[in-house]
Amino acid sequence: MGMATSFLPVWIVMFPMVMTLVIYYVEQHNERMRNALAVATSVVTFLSVLSLYPYIMAGNIVEYSMFQLLPNLEISFRVDILSFSLALLSSFVWMLVSIYSIDYMCKEHGCNRYYPVLIITLASCMGIFLAGDLFTLFVFFELMSLISYVLVVHEESLEALRAGYKYLIMTIIGGLALFFGIIITFELGGSVSLGGPALITVPSSLAFFAFISFLIGFGMKAGMFPLHVWLPDAHPVAPSPASALLSGIMLKTGAYGLLRVIFHIFTPGMLQDAGWMIILAVVAIITILLGSAVAITQDDLKRRLAYSSVGQMGYILLGMSILTERAIIGNIFHIFSHAFMKSTLFLAAGAIILKTGKRSIRELGGIGRQMPFTMFAFTLAALSMIGIPPLSGFLSKWTLSLGAMDAGLPYFVLVLLVSSLLNGLYYLPIIIAAFFGAEEGHEHGLVKISEAPYKMLIPIAILAVSCLLFGLLPTNLPFDLSRVAADYLLRGGF
Amino acid sequence: MNATHHLSALAIVLPLVCAFLMPLFDRWRRGWCTPAALGALGFSFAASAAMAWQVMTAGPFYYRMGNWPPPWGIELYVDYLAVFTALTMTGVSLVILVYATKDLLHELKPGLLGWYYTLYLLLIASMVGMALTNDIFNLFVFVEICAIAACGIISIKATKECLEAAFKYLVLSALGSGCLLLAIALLYMVTGHLNFTFISQALPEAMRLYPNNILAALALLLVGMGVKAALFPLHVWLPDAHSSAPSPSSAVLSGLVIKIYAVALLKLLYQVFPPGIFEATPVLTILLWMSTMAIIAGSMFAIVQEDIKKMLAYSSVAQIGYVFMGFAIVDPSALTGGILHVFNHAMMKAMLFLAAGAFIYCTGVRRLSDLKGIGHTMPIPAAAFTIGALAMVGIPLTNGFISKWYLVLGALHGGQPVFASVILLSSLLNGVYYLPIIVNAFFGEPQGRVAEPRPLPRQMQVPLVVLGVGCLLFGLFPSLILGLASRASQALLGL
Repeated sequence: MGMATSFLPVWIVMFPMVMTLVIYYVEQHNERMRNALAVATSVVTFLSVLSLYPYIMAGNIVEYSMFQLLPNLEISFRVDILSFSLALLSSFVWMLVSIYSIDYMCKEHGCNRYYPVLIITLASCMGIFLAGDLFTLFVFFELMSLISYVLVVHEESLEALRAGYKYLIMTIIGGLALFFGIIITFELGGSVSLGGPALITVPSSLAFFAFISFLIGFGMKAGMFPLHVWLPDAHPVAPSPASALLSGIMLKTGAYGLLRVIFHIFTPGMLQDAGWMIILAVVAIITILLGSAVAITQDDLKRRLAYSSVGQMGYILLGMSILTERAIIGNIFHIFSHAFMKSTLFLAAGAIILKTGKRSIRELGGIGRQMPFTMFAFTLAALSMIGIPPLSGFLSKWTLSLGAMDAGLPYFVLVLLVSSLLNGLYYLPIIIAAFFGAEEGHEHGLVKISEAPYKMLIPIAILAVSCLLFGLLPTNLPFDLSRVAADYLLRGGF
Repeated sequence: MNATHHLSALAIVLPLVCAFLMPLFDRWRRGWCTPAALGALGFSFAASAAMAWQVMTAGPFYYRMGNWPPPWGIELYVDYLAVFTALTMTGVSLVILVYATKDLLHELKPGLLGWYYTLYLLLIASMVGMALTNDIFNLFVFVEICAIAACGIISIKATKECLEAAFKYLVLSALGSGCLLLAIALLYMVTGHLNFTFISQALPEAMRLYPNNILAALALLLVGMGVKAALFPLHVWLPDAHSSAPSPSSAVLSGLVIKIYAVALLKLLYQVFPPGIFEATPVLTILLWMSTMAIIAGSMFAIVQEDIKKMLAYSSVAQIGYVFMGFAIVDPSALTGGILHVFNHAMMKAMLFLAAGAFIYCTGVRRLSDLKGIGHTMPIPAAAFTIGALAMVGIPLTNGFISKWYLVLGALHGGQPVFASVILLSSLLNGVYYLPIIVNAFFGEPQGRVAEPRPLPRQMQVPLVVLGVGCLLFGLFPSLILGLASRASQALLGL
């Protein structure tokens, strides 16, 4: 295992940040240039992350320390296999979403606000994943959370502003909880670095407070019960590409933070001995069941998808609480597969909303015949959500279940099965109605609905095919990355 | 004694002299007023900076006024805390004065500007004096000057509410001064000295002989300084006074004046009273709980305010609680945090008040709900307000985060995690009342006068930009000022 100092992580974070300013400047004069620059920025960011691939896969770690804010508190970056995996995933989805945005947003107001915010959120997301210490992670976490507020309230409707307010208050609560956790860690461990040995190894009441604070801070972002309340309001009101990112990527920053906390701040062994993981397991189970159950009752398509995200994040949290190797693999792989599935679903929903203006599931009868391509992608992702083999959702559930069995916790498997059943209950009716239901509106002589522009279809297609490929092929990149990352987390090396 | 030493006296005396020249200039050479006032404050600031350099490189020094040795003459003690405070006071007040030169033309009746400068310079000179002096009676004199001048810059607008607020302030402030005078008399009675150093040498002996006198002096001191620093529940005068005064006055009152009393109390508690006093009396516990109440209650009151300046004023009640909390948790980190917050809050609150003043200057709107969309029509003040609000909440990379970090770290380190959670709760409350304003400012269509504000003069834009950049600069590179603050706290704790 080698260490290296490289400027590349800083570049990955700073490049989109600087480009935000460039885009802000350019958009005053030229809108096409703005769109092109936004896409180019996300592509370059993705390629920059990708260029780390050979180096990271050879078992190396890239570090860069920027500057010290206070003694022992610095802005630093550190790329290990887990950071790399998530940064790669995020920048990839971001790239597709920014391409999708061009046609989706062209009829929207406030594009001059949307694109710079989109790109600076990418920068802060990269910052979270590449952070070398908890403080840097916190800084970018706050930046992302606060900036994405602008994405949430983009419509500026009363509903959006209300959802945004809820989101903002929860963000502040989460941020303060994180601050508390970080400062306790600093007090107990004397540092907040993620690279060194575990910082808190002895259970104490203060350490317990720290654990709870982290759970609140990151769990809030990850949509963990009972802190999920903002999510079903905030995600649907955002423009669809933003919803895809909010649900597909930004929720994962919470999960990522918790992984870091469990493995780098505390030690998994200590957390299990102290019995604190039970808290996580219990809330994870409630999150899964609650998210899936409430999703059934939702009629708004995007709201149903948002509740589904709550349920799916529960899987990830559950995998974290089990802590066997296969559970961790399943957990990390589910971060990948959920990102692909949920962005497919939200982008497809966006295409439908753009073309028909319909958000209510009841009105979507026959939409599959009008927009076959979009609905086919939707179906693929939805089936993957339910966990039908050979889609990627099946692979993550399978691995998670194996992990639960390894730990001797078969009733966790039961929870997964029940949740799959619930997923089926709320996804299948949409699909059935879309393909076999009666078309609405035709008798009123409305215009024929056609597919969305190809710049929207291609990202949807790529993401939907990913759902299929990453389940179909036994060895694929996300699964390999998950395996190596789990190995790294559990053994502290390659 | 080198030239820098003399600067300590000049930093006080020059603004004092200039203050009395102002009415003369106003009569005969009106054009000289503004440059002279700016020059005097600029000199004070430069002198403070030179002293800071001297103290950081060569250590603290004493200065004897007129070369009279201490028991007879007044002595100044220029240490870390003193230069830190002097720098804060002169630096921030200079920026506010630049803003005031334009804003006051609009807020005051013609012909009052010279008098305003007189009061302003007196105020700043007295605060620098309080920071530097090593003599308890001299401190009292400066406290009085400060109180009268503060009262003057509130009432100068001569509207009904200003006069009422000024009167309220005058009465309560006189009460505080009375308490302070009694405390000084009691201390003088038992020790026979007025010089800090001499009192602190004589106090351990006096403690044994007259414990009740010293207890009473301590109580009176706490009440006297508490009233003047608007420490809850002695804050009742502040919201009216700070919200009705002209905006530059509000900025200097909320940002600086209430802090100087906190610093004076800090000096007295740690430099004059023997360390044993903290074990013998629960003075710090009282201070700690009062500050807790201040933090919670101030934020609660701020949430329900409709007037922008009133909300900022209540926010100050809460923020002064942070400062006192830092002083009362006996821990180097917390004390550093408290001292640092004097500076950080001075910048943030001054900026917020000046931004609010800019809104009022350009649109005449004071109601928070009417400021919808102001971010589109007045981007610079709105951006400054946003930075200030984020700093108030304590978002990382703003200066508010740094002081909060030290305060919470100190509370944890001092074994008092309850107070750490108080600070966090208060940050949440800050978020609850500051963030909706920002959201309102940037999302929504401006209406009425907000849609077409009159242009903001450059003299009012530059201070906002300077303070906004300062808030970010000291959030990114806190070490610029942190060395001074942490050495001050170590010196006070005798480490």
